[in-house]
Amino acid sequence: MAKEVTAKIKLQCPAGQATPAPPVGPALGSHGVNIAAFVKEFNERTRKDMGLIIPVEITVYKDRSFDFVLKSPPAGVLLKKAAGLESAAHAPGHETVGKVTRAQVEEIAKMKMKDLNARTLDAACRIIEGTARAAGIKVEG
Amino acid sequence: MSEPSRTSGAAPPGVPLVWREIAVRVPEGWQELVAERLAACFASGVVFGRASLASEPVPEGFELVRVFAAGARELAELQREARAELAALAERTDAIELAELEVSVRELPPEDFARSWEKRWKPFRVGRIAVVSPHASSKLRAHDLELRLEPGGAFGTGRHTTTRSCLRVIQRRIVGGERVLDAGCGNGVLAVAALLCGAERALGFDVDPHAVPYAAALARENRVLDRCDLRAGGFEALSERDAHFDAVFANIYADLIQRHAAELASRLAPHGWFVFSGCHRDHRAATEAAIAAAGLVIEARASTGRWDTYEGRRRR
Repeated sequence: MAKEVTAKIKLQCPAGQATPAPPVGPALGSHGVNIAAFVKEFNERTRKDMGLIIPVEITVYKDRSFDFVLKSPPAGVLLKKAAGLESAAHAPGHETVGKVTRAQVEEIAKMKMKDLNARTLDAACRIIEGTARAAGIKVEG
Repeated sequence: MSEPSRTSGAAPPGVPLVWREIAVRVPEGWQELVAERLAACFASGVVFGRASLASEPVPEGFELVRVFAAGARELAELQREARAELAALAERTDAIELAELEVSVRELPPEDFARSWEKRWKPFRVGRIAVVSPHASSKLRAHDLELRLEPGGAFGTGRHTTTRSCLRVIQRRIVGGERVLDAGCGNGVLAVAALLCGAERALGFDVDPHAVPYAAALARENRVLDRCDLRAGGFEALSERDAHFDAVFANIYADLIQRHAAELASRLAPHGWFVFSGCHRDHRAATEAAIAAAGLVIEARASTGRWDTYEGRRRR
């Protein structure tokens, strides 16, 4: 059944641990969405990724029902994974905790281009490199 | 009616009611990184985009990143903290775009976010079926059939025009004791309504694997789960024995009705009736042709806005 879309909302929430508190509450409440129902379903669908922050795009329909899709993890998470790290640097800028290759940066940039709204692959690579530096991950090559 | 429970949907203990919002206008592309840093700084989730259409538009090439701090904290202090975090980020990333980003802060009015949506959700009635929330008590009339539905879930509120049209047909045609099939059942509202109206058993299926738990919860809430058979999948989820239904419901899309009309018809008993909905009027001719070609006779078409609902029988 086709339904009229009234809003698209982009959020990032901790997997399996979203609550009705902000950002979920104010973002969805103003559209009359049942926040508890969203929280329950989001947590159910992301429980396996506990510990990660998951970007999610929620579509709200005219009858106040909703639907959502989970997007690719943030670039920071992908970089840490590529560098084989558990966490980012405690004092980024002063400390290097891992490294990735330029090819890995490009691969992540390609994956994230759409989510980042980057216009070119070069622009996306520059953002991913900046994200790597911010996390204390060195780009080699 | 029984006293409704108010347990689910309540704010989890410890969720503060008072929050501050920190909003940063970020050059497009960098929003994720800024979001990540600010989320870590304020132990918050993130919203991208403005709060509502009434708030100031974000200029082309920028994205608004909003994070939230719990408690009645000083706005100026939060602004300073956010600016310091962003300045450090600009330095580390070597990205000149991130220097001196505009940071605005504001108080959010205190609110119990877990419950506030309920103010906007009102029970509604379709004929004698009263669709009410399990979280609030609603006044019912003497002959009302109460359908308790958790509002606003991913599979609809039951309020959509096409669902209401189907509910009207179902309550008019069910006489009691029927076996019904709900194709593309979603949250199972049609199957559950049919059982509440007196049908004996309902089989619902949906290709979306998330639908079955929703439908099961709705059936349980309305105490008809023991008369429901719910399956994830398309027609392949049905066996040869799943036939001779007294009624078949399909509130899906016109193209799906067209594609599956013969399959839907084959599941009907010779005396059986159907209700098909979700059919856009732009596809009326093709939909009606497909229904006729499947050996079904349309007895009535109800049109509301852009949507058509058909009811009818097998051709004798």
